Amino acid sequence: MSIGGTEALEASESGGALQFLDFGGEIAARSPSQLFWRRLRRDRVAIASAGFIVFLIVLAIAAPLVIKILGLPGPNVQNLNLTDEFGSPLGPTGSHPFGVDQLGQDVMSRVIYGTRVSLEVGIIGTAISTLIGVVVGLLAGFYRGWVDTVLSRAVDVVLSIPLLLLGIGIGAACGVRGCLSGAIQPGLGVIIFLIAFATWPYMMRIVRGLVLSLREREFIDASRALGASDLRIMFREILPNLTAPIIVFASLQIPTNILIEAALSFLGVGIRPPTASWGQMIASATPIFATAWWYMVFPGAALLLTVLAFNLLGDGLRDALNPRSAR
Amino acid sequence: MRSIRTAAAIAVVAALALVLAACGSSKSSSSSSGGSGGSNTVSSSGYQSPTTQSLEGKKGGTLEVLDETDFEHLDPGIAYYSLDYEVVFATQRPLYSNKPNTASEASPDMASGPPEVSSDAKTVTVHMREGIKFSPPVNREVTSADVAYAFQRAANPNVANPYLQPYFKAVEGVPTATGGPIKGIATPDKHTIVFHLTEPKGSFVANALVMPISAAVPKEYAEKFDKHKPSDYGNNQVATGPYMFKNDSSGKVLGVGYFPGKSATLVRNPNWSASSDIRPAYLDEIKIKIGGTNSVIGRQVLEGKNVVENEPPAQNAVRLAAEKYKAQMEISPGAGSHYITLNNSHGPFKNENLRKAVWAALNRTAMDKARGGKLVTDVATHALYPSSDPKWNEVTGFNDAGGLEGPKFDFNEHLEGDAAVAAKYMKLAGYPSGKYTGGETITVVGAKGNPAEQDAEIVNNTLKQLGFTTKFTLVETATMYAKYCNVPKENIDVCPNVGWIADFADPQTILNITFNGKYIVQTGNVNQGQVNDPAINEAATKAENVSGASARAAAWADVDRKIAEGAHFVPYDWDKQANIEGSGVHGVGDLWDVGEWDYSWTSLK
Repeated sequence: MSIGGTEALEASESGGALQFLDFGGEIAARSPSQLFWRRLRRDRVAIASAGFIVFLIVLAIAAPLVIKILGLPGPNVQNLNLTDEFGSPLGPTGSHPFGVDQLGQDVMSRVIYGTRVSLEVGIIGTAISTLIGVVVGLLAGFYRGWVDTVLSRAVDVVLSIPLLLLGIGIGAACGVRGCLSGAIQPGLGVIIFLIAFATWPYMMRIVRGLVLSLREREFIDASRALGASDLRIMFREILPNLTAPIIVFASLQIPTNILIEAALSFLGVGIRPPTASWGQMIASATPIFATAWWYMVFPGAALLLTVLAFNLLGDGLRDALNPRSAR
Repeated sequence: MRSIRTAAAIAVVAALALVLAACGSSKSSSSSSGGSGGSNTVSSSGYQSPTTQSLEGKKGGTLEVLDETDFEHLDPGIAYYSLDYEVVFATQRPLYSNKPNTASEASPDMASGPPEVSSDAKTVTVHMREGIKFSPPVNREVTSADVAYAFQRAANPNVANPYLQPYFKAVEGVPTATGGPIKGIATPDKHTIVFHLTEPKGSFVANALVMPISAAVPKEYAEKFDKHKPSDYGNNQVATGPYMFKNDSSGKVLGVGYFPGKSATLVRNPNWSASSDIRPAYLDEIKIKIGGTNSVIGRQVLEGKNVVENEPPAQNAVRLAAEKYKAQMEISPGAGSHYITLNNSHGPFKNENLRKAVWAALNRTAMDKARGGKLVTDVATHALYPSSDPKWNEVTGFNDAGGLEGPKFDFNEHLEGDAAVAAKYMKLAGYPSGKYTGGETITVVGAKGNPAEQDAEIVNNTLKQLGFTTKFTLVETATMYAKYCNVPKENIDVCPNVGWIADFADPQTILNITFNGKYIVQTGNVNQGQVNDPAINEAATKAENVSGASARAAAWADVDRKIAEGAHFVPYDWDKQANIEGSGVHGVGDLWDVGEWDYSWTSLK
């Protein structure tokens, strides 16, 4: 320990010149990914956000274990003895650090389980919309002409559908019996589908624009001259060049999707109770906020921090990948 | 059977019963208040009670009313909602009306005396007071023809009164009426109106005259508005009561005395005279502000002076009142009941023992705690519900049916739920493990909003503990009734948020269309559990024709017992409605209208 400390001290004392030399010494070429990691590592905010997100993922996966370790009741355990004589929930105590809700369910336990819903929706929804957006964007940008016209108009149509209204409509129409003879049932699946359906056009437009310019470049002509198929050109030549903007855009899409889920659940058309979801908890806390602030504050804070973390990480990725300079 | 939309939200029920009332409204033979259960349902001291409140007051002043939601209908021919009633009964005079402190005894209002029912019960004659005038701009004397017109227009599709058919269908010509003169309603002179009936249901029709449908409407003035679809007489109405909507010289109320979603103003009716009315009408003016947030309004009212809230206050306001402003809160029992309906005709709950297991397992105390606790609820033990009006508990059969404790069945004994008794009935139902293993997924459709959704979640949890797999959905209250629970072909297994309140003190209005299988209809069905039990049907159908208050009470108490015995539903809540007022108000609440403040009796201190 002490030895290491001294070394570190010496290193910092040795001054800027030495450091400059150190850096200068590694003139060896760096791959774009090495550059990316170097830049990202220097962004403390992004690293902290990434750490928080990893923590959330672990929390979501290990929710039952975490709750057991913390000695909390399950998220759906009702106990009306934890409400006062007027039915108002009791606030934070040692055994219920975040207090309880109107049914005496432990708020902390529900916030932890709510992480699952938010991450599932954020990550799976974004993955699906990215996949669709990238493929459609590649096709439209690469083939141009009528393919582009058809796909771009389709995107215009999808973009003109109001997501929240669609969600409310599906929630109202398919609430009890489901739609299409039970194929559509409100719940996690529909939310993910809705989000993917409503957000892929943004990705598509970005990808299409980039492909339109990339396809005119010499390396594409070169590979075409070599006899590469369209598919190969699209997915092996063009796509790798789009990695950076796709990653950046997807990372910024995740928090948006988490918020959409919260909004739909807040409106009562998202996750069905008793499954815990932050949006739904906030909705059900609204009428009793005056007497039970904890019921809104903790899920609200969880939502805020999660969305903030994803946004900051997205910003960090964008800076690190620097796609705007578009070489 | 009025639909009330309290916090509890008992939603619009379009189809009502054929109801045969107990005897006329004028007798006061009972008076023996020393009796069982009922009267001590008024909880704890310190709060006001509509039964014991003083009806005296000081004249003058302006009352401010804060309500989050707007009225549904201000037209006396359409209004059928507790909040609307507070305005309608301050501005209109039906033939009969209830004083604030009774839920079981109507007084002559526009009528000059009790209704005269002929011995064959096929004619009802009502004599009206003379010298009552419509408010400006009509300004003429009210005659029996105006009451006849009120009934005519009720049948007009542009008005579409919701209870004309169920309550007045025995009147000749009503079933086929569409707005023109009704054959069975005669006006032999200017102050007499006679109802000719095709069936011997005179006392029932007489009792139904407390509904605002019998408030006079001047034909020559209202006709032009009734031609519009929908009628806009409500926006141009004239009054017979002590107050009227502020209007302009042409009679227009909309934009003058009523701004939808914003405000309404009631001023004194210059043509009203105190000597002709039972209402004292202490206040000079009532200013109603619409909008805001219920939980904020609650605090404004409790901390304010000359202000009341007529909506059910938010839970936090009830709590605040209980802690700091006890005297500013009135608790009104008899505000209806809430229960779970289990589908008796389809799915697993055809099995009586499974229904009993649910009843036994349900923690009814927890259900009521989620609704705001003992202050605003009593744990329900059967279908008939209590009031603090002792006569109500007598004539409805509530006392005969076991009072607060209810019928003695083991599944009804433990209000907090009893797993052992539940397991016993699960075994009897053929599930020896005590858990349902039938494999059917049951649909549970509850109502959104506090406290309905909390109750629904407790029910869902209870069902899961019994081993059921549930498909649990919460929808808006109106949707829950109109699209799911009131539609038999949807075959919803469990409706946890069903509520009911009677229009009159008659047990038939509580038990008949709700549990008698012969009234099951394909839409607007209020027998949500599709209870179609031959023994109940027979007893109820027989009880319809029983006359005499105590005989009817006994007959319906028997029906009530049969409903509980077979666990055809699961009751959990008898509502007590809280209403709050500011420190400067001497509020008088209507026991017959979930304790809503009555503007014609309320005064300022």
